[in-house]
Amino acid sequence: MLLEVKNLKVKRNDKEILRGIDLKIKEGETQVLLGPNGSGKSCFAQTILGNPKYKVTQGKILFGRKDITRFAPEKRVKLGLALGWQNPPQIKGVKFSKLLEKISRGEFKIPDGENLLEREVNVDFSGGEKKISELLQILALRPKLVIFDEIDSGLDLKRLESVAKIIKKELIQKGVSVLLITHSGEILRFLKPRLTNVMVGGKIICKEKNYRKVLKVIKKYGYEKCKKCKLLAG
Amino acid sequence: MVTKSVKNANYWQVDHKIKNIFEVKGVTVLPSPEAWNKFKWARKWFAKQPNEGYFIWVKKQIDLPFFTCVSIFSKNIRQDLQNLLIIEKNLKVNLKGVCNSQKRDLNCGHKARGKIILKEGSSLKYEHIHSWGEKDIIQPSYEFLLEKNSELDYTYKNLFAPKKLKIKTDFDLLAGAAANIKIIADCRQSQTEIKDTLRLNGEGSSGQIQLRLVGRKNSRIEAKSSIVASSAGKGHLDCQGLLIDKDSIISLDPKLVCKNKLAQLTHEASIGKISEEELNYLRMRGLAESEAIDLIVNGFLGRDRDEQNSTT
Repeated sequence: MLLEVKNLKVKRNDKEILRGIDLKIKEGETQVLLGPNGSGKSCFAQTILGNPKYKVTQGKILFGRKDITRFAPEKRVKLGLALGWQNPPQIKGVKFSKLLEKISRGEFKIPDGENLLEREVNVDFSGGEKKISELLQILALRPKLVIFDEIDSGLDLKRLESVAKIIKKELIQKGVSVLLITHSGEILRFLKPRLTNVMVGGKIICKEKNYRKVLKVIKKYGYEKCKKCKLLAG
Repeated sequence: MVTKSVKNANYWQVDHKIKNIFEVKGVTVLPSPEAWNKFKWARKWFAKQPNEGYFIWVKKQIDLPFFTCVSIFSKNIRQDLQNLLIIEKNLKVNLKGVCNSQKRDLNCGHKARGKIILKEGSSLKYEHIHSWGEKDIIQPSYEFLLEKNSELDYTYKNLFAPKKLKIKTDFDLLAGAAANIKIIADCRQSQTEIKDTLRLNGEGSSGQIQLRLVGRKNSRIEAKSSIVASSAGKGHLDCQGLLIDKDSIISLDPKLVCKNKLAQLTHEASIGKISEEELNYLRMRGLAESEAIDLIVNGFLGRDRDEQNSTT
């Protein structure tokens, strides 16, 4: 098992956001985490990467069987974890090419977004450009497991397809594990997960192999229906 | 710390000794004491009879950048320089000036009084770089006189601020003259006083001062920037400070004085700390906290842009 999250409880500013998460991802596996806004998906992603704003109050995060629950973010990245942010901050005055040069852990191809290289990181980037910027940074990091937080939000269909192709070719086909976080499920048109997890209210309430079935229920009845579903995992 | 190309400098001084003077056609380069004796007309530009420093008189267009370097290699040296740069009418000059100490612990002093005269229609792009040791006391004081329709693009960068730094810079602009001024200091364990004044003395003159100051490791920075408009000109002050640790203090004091109702003066000033979100973002890219801070600071000080400009 590459990533194993055991009974993870997390607080931010004394408010409990994650209320006991269990999740396992194998090497080379793609999974999806679905959930409505505010369900705790981004908090989960940030906690896995070690953002100090989120305090783990209970549970463990194992990566490659190593307990990384208290590791600094940079140490987790060096072990092979990476996160594509939903809303990445601007780094004024720093050229994107400079950032790539600093973080790069080996040579990598730039499949898209060459026009961003001379610009300041995320400054005046469109929604689509931010996603490409995140994707390029992740490729530079050469990770073993990537969490993409809403990589499909704000992308038109053509752009979405192009992003999905890059993820497939440069990551999934190279054996990198991927956890796709999405609330719309748009990206699942192009990337097929082995397992679909549904998070509501800081808990994973459903784990289902057939993502189409889950999406169908959510699209028809919303996430409220998930709570009452017989497949309920929690 | 001395750049590799220093042997090709047009003026190179180490401690009190001139190591090299390299003249090009159309430009006179002399030690200031010699210029004092040779050119009586130039005496009015010196505050007093100089002991050391350089005199550069650009009389014809030069295409290559000009380079001066004043260094300190020995302990307890006290330099007292008077520098004079004169650019004749309608000439364009690109100058890089470096002042530094070779080691971090030389306990030296560098006092420099400079006068830069841009004659009518001339243009100067001047990059002035300082890099000092932890025990040094540094006092540069420069006056720029911009005659009619001349242009100045001046960047003062202090990459390693000394123990004490006191900078005074005055810019006097006549009609139609334009100045773009950047003052950048990265201060660690440093007491820094900056005072700069831009005077818009002629109609249609314009200028902008940008201050970018970083305070870390118990630094004290006090910056007083002012624009005084006596004529119908335009001026803008943009002062920004970045505090890295809780033991440093930055004080920004922007001031606008308008003596002409047709002048337009504006200012903005801010002091902030490094955003935690930016820091965490970079740490999640594998950078250690100190590397992330350096990257953010370099971005704030515009070093990335400067590197790019210096290679173009």
